[in-house]
Amino acid sequence: MEKIFFINGQEVKVVNFSQKDGIVSFDLNGKNYQYSKLDFRDQLLIEGNDHRFGAVISSPKEGEQMVIAGELEAKMSSGKKAKKQSIAGSLNSPMPGKIFKVIKNIGDEVKKGETILILEAMKMEHSIRADKDGIVKKINYSVGELVQGGAVLASVE
Amino acid sequence: MKIQKILVANRGEIALRVLRTAREMGIKVVSIYAEDDKTLPHAMLADESYSLGSGALADTYLNQNKIIDIAKRSGADAIHPGYGFLSENAMFASTVEKAGIIFIGPTPDSITLMGDKSGSKKALEPLNIPMIPGYHGDNQDEAFLADQARKIGFPVLIKASAGGGGKGMRIVNQEEDLLESIRGAKSEGLKSFSNDRVLIEKYIVNPRHIEVQLMSDTHGNHLHFWERECSIQRRYQKIVEETPAPSMSQELREKICQTAVQISSGINYRGAGTVEFILTPKNEFYFLEMNTRLQVEHPVTEMVTGFDLVRFQIMVASGEKLPVKQADIKQKGHAIECRIYAEDPDQNFMPSIGKIEKIGTPTLRDVRLDCGFNDGAEVGVNYDPMLAKLIVWGKDRETSTSKTIQSLDDVLFLGVKTNRDYLKRILAHPAYAQGLTHTHFIPQYEADLKPKALRDDQLADLIAAFSLQGQTRSSATVGVVSHSTPWTTLTGFRN
Repeated sequence: MEKIFFINGQEVKVVNFSQKDGIVSFDLNGKNYQYSKLDFRDQLLIEGNDHRFGAVISSPKEGEQMVIAGELEAKMSSGKKAKKQSIAGSLNSPMPGKIFKVIKNIGDEVKKGETILILEAMKMEHSIRADKDGIVKKINYSVGELVQGGAVLASVE
Repeated sequence: MKIQKILVANRGEIALRVLRTAREMGIKVVSIYAEDDKTLPHAMLADESYSLGSGALADTYLNQNKIIDIAKRSGADAIHPGYGFLSENAMFASTVEKAGIIFIGPTPDSITLMGDKSGSKKALEPLNIPMIPGYHGDNQDEAFLADQARKIGFPVLIKASAGGGGKGMRIVNQEEDLLESIRGAKSEGLKSFSNDRVLIEKYIVNPRHIEVQLMSDTHGNHLHFWERECSIQRRYQKIVEETPAPSMSQELREKICQTAVQISSGINYRGAGTVEFILTPKNEFYFLEMNTRLQVEHPVTEMVTGFDLVRFQIMVASGEKLPVKQADIKQKGHAIECRIYAEDPDQNFMPSIGKIEKIGTPTLRDVRLDCGFNDGAEVGVNYDPMLAKLIVWGKDRETSTSKTIQSLDDVLFLGVKTNRDYLKRILAHPAYAQGLTHTHFIPQYEADLKPKALRDDQLADLIAAFSLQGQTRSSATVGVVSHSTPWTTLTGFRN
C-alpha cells in the first residue's frame, strides 16, 4: 500500500506500508524500515531503525498533529492533500491578534512585499504584506478589531 | 521588621520563583491573577489568590490601586514585583511604601534615576564610570562634528538625534566618508523627523553584552555576584545567558564587577540590581544601563554561586544585613540559561499560540526548569510568549553546553511550536563552543542556524511515531532502554 505523509509541509511518499499489532513497516526511497511499539510504562516507546526512542503526539489541530520522536519535532498529517490551502491572493492572519494599523486602501496599487496592514499580537507588530504586485481588492477589518488566527485580512489581485 | 506575608505582583514562572523562596523562609504568599490566567499554577499554588478581573493589562497586572488594595485586604506586609510589569515603576514603589507596605526592591529614587537613560549617565559622571565615547552636544557645525568624530576614533556611528529604525544612521569607517556621512545623516534626519540634529558615538563591532549581578543591603554592604554574558539575542531580547562569561580574563572580570559595585555603592542602592555593560573585542567596557530589579536570567548566577537571590532580596527588604561577605561569593562551574519561547524561529520568530498538552521535565542532575505553565494551559496573545527558562549547571562550559542540548530534548512542550530546536542549533554551533559570542551572533550565523532538512532515517522515525500512536501494543516488553530520550518522566508541571 502506498501512503503519503506531510512532514513540516513536505510531502513524503512511502510504499509497501503495512501496520498490524503495533508493528509498522514501509519502504522509503528504496529502503525498508520496520518499527515496533514497546510496552514501557505509559509511554509510547518505539524500537526500530537501530534505536529506541520515546514519542509523544499532540491531538489533531486543523488536521495536523505535532509529533515529537526522540530529538525530532515535526508537524504531521497523512492521507489526502494536507490541510487548507489559503485562497490565492488572500492574506491570512498568522495568529490571533488585533488590527493595529491599516496602511493601504481598497483599490490601491501595491508591489509585492508592501505592507497593507499591521497586526498586533503578543505585544509585537506584524506587517501583513502583499504577496504579489496587484490591486488591493479587499480589506476585511478596521483598526482595533480582533481577528482569529487564519482569518482572511485582505486580498490582492 | 520580619516579613510575614508577601504579595507577588506578577504572573507565571517569576511568581512561582518568588513563591518557592518565600515558602522556604516560612513566609505566606498571596498571588494575583487575571481571569484568563486563573488555571495557571501561580493562581493555584499560593496560600491565597485574588482575581484581578479581566481586561487590558492596565486593568489587571498593571493596576496599581487594585494590587495595593488586595495587599491590604489580605494583610500582606510586603510586595514583590518580579520583573517586567510594575517592577521598575517608581510611582508604584512609592505608593506601596506610602501605604505602609514594604516594596521588595530599590528605593523609588533609584528606580527614577536609572530609568532616565541620560540622567543616569550624568549622575554617574563623578564616579568615573566608563561611557561609550561620543558627542551628544548642541554644536551642530559640520567641521566641529567631524573633529569630534576624529577624536572618538573610527569606526563611528552618526545618528539623527530624533532617529529610530535605522533612519538617519551612518557607520563611518574612514576619514574619506566622514563629511558626506554627517551631511547624509543630517538630511535624512531632516526628511524623516524634521530635525537635522545628529549625535556621534564610537561604533563597536561585535560587542558582547556583559552584566553584573549586584545586591546591596541597608547597612552599607554593596556586593556583586559576578557577571553574566547575555550576548545571544533576537529582536533585542536575550535568549541564551551564561556565567561565567567565556573568554574573559579573571583580571577583566574583577575590574568589570568592581566598576558595577562602584555604581551601587555610589548611588547607595538597595536590593537586587544589574549593571549592563558593552564589552568590545579589545576588552574595553562601557556602561549601558542599570536594571533596578531581579533579572529574568538571575538563576544562572544562583547555580554558579550557590546563593538564593530572592532570599537576599527579602532579607534586605526586612532590613537585615546580607549574611555573606564578598570573599565568600565564588563562581563554581558553569551555568547556561535558555529561554523557551512559543515562537517559530524559522518564520522570523513569529509567536505561536495553542494549548500545551504536555510539558516535559528535565531528567539530568543540576538542571532547573522555571516554568509558569501546566499541562493543558493555553498560550494566548495577551502575554509575553516566554514559556519557561531552562537552567543547566555543569562543572565547566563544555559540560553545561552538552547537558543543555540534552535537556532541551527533555523539556518538550507538546502542542505549541517552540524555539527548542533553534536553541539546540545555537548551542551546537562551533562559534558558540569557542565562546565567540556577540550581540550580532544570530544575524551573523543566520545561514548556519537554519533548520537542516530531515534525513530519510529521521523521516522514517517520525512516520513510525505518527503511525504507531494509539496502536495496540505488541507483546514485547522492554528490558533496558538503550539510548535516545525516553519520556520516562512526563509527569507534567513541576517547578
